[in-house]
Amino acid sequence: MRLLINLLVAIAIAVIVGLGSAWLVLDRERIFGAVTRGAWTAWPELGSPNADPYSRAELARSGALPLGDGEGIAFVADTDDSGAALTARCSYFINGQTPAARLWTLTVTDKNGNLFETPAHRSGFHAREILRREDGSFAIALAGDPQPGNWLPVTGSGPLRLTLRLYDTPLTSSGIGEATLPAIARRSCR
Amino acid sequence: MKHLLLYGLGGLLLGGIIHIAAILLVPDFATRDAWTSLGRLGPDGAFHLLPANAPVTKPLTDLDPAMAHAACRFTLEEGPIRIRATMPEEFWSLAVFDRRGSNVYSLNDRTAERSDIDLVIATPLQMAKLRENPLAALDRAIVIELPLERGFVLIRAFVPNPTLAPATEAALGAADCQASLTAPGNGSGTAGS
Repeated sequence: MRLLINLLVAIAIAVIVGLGSAWLVLDRERIFGAVTRGAWTAWPELGSPNADPYSRAELARSGALPLGDGEGIAFVADTDDSGAALTARCSYFINGQTPAARLWTLTVTDKNGNLFETPAHRSGFHAREILRREDGSFAIALAGDPQPGNWLPVTGSGPLRLTLRLYDTPLTSSGIGEATLPAIARRSCR
Repeated sequence: MKHLLLYGLGGLLLGGIIHIAAILLVPDFATRDAWTSLGRLGPDGAFHLLPANAPVTKPLTDLDPAMAHAACRFTLEEGPIRIRATMPEEFWSLAVFDRRGSNVYSLNDRTAERSDIDLVIATPLQMAKLRENPLAALDRAIVIELPLERGFVLIRAFVPNPTLAPATEAALGAADCQASLTAPGNGSGTAGS
């Protein structure tokens, strides 16, 4: 009887620890292979055949279609430069230049990747349509209220995610190195 | 007490094994992976437009709303496949994924050095046969060798502004995932133009 109870306890521990930890790891953000520059993070290995088993499991669960090396690379930002989480309750300035790429797009979504339904029908900017300064840099105002210049509207008050996709960029072959990405600065909150 | 501790330790070790097994098995049992989601769009062997990433519809995560997407699930069991599409003069990129959603090959319009897509995917064995008996029609095609049985191709095409979306989607919709291997390649008579 004593043996049976001990065995059951051991098996219960094994199942809870094993499946629980697996679920916890996969439910968190991708943890392996991240390359961070300022507030931006990229996973260059994601979706490549030599990715680690955790990334593969995560990929299968999400059904994502990551960009291949020959296509480009995606950077994601969930926080501003100070490390505070991006939220639709605040307004932000996204300021600077993008690394060399033939084309880039910047998209704002909620934490799960859903686009916002805004009256302006705008969910991002791309390299061809953005208003730039004379030196080629740009500033985007991410805010709920209309702003002059490049206004990226958001609605609600939940967390935000910015995705910067660089298409046909040397970063995929030469590595991310010292690439400088746009700064994300918080302006005001309501 | 000492016994219970020992069983607890054993439980933890077994838990570690279960953890590893669970992580490794997730891809085999996933029901929301890319391959399965794409299968819902229509039959294999043909390109299907992925619904535009809009606030209401979101078929697959991680898609760029500034792009139009089309995907085709294919099998190489019956021979090499040839993919042909006439693309608009804009950025496009193409990626080949294996059954598990890993990206095994990708290129874009600049690396392809042309604006139309003419791509042949073959297994190493089929490739060896193609080398023995080269097909004149594939002179200008990009022929790649991939050790796959099944997989899918995803084409992303840039839509600079919404008014161009219908043209891009039409081009993607007309993309051919089962083009004949012996059909003459585009511009084979006007090479060098």
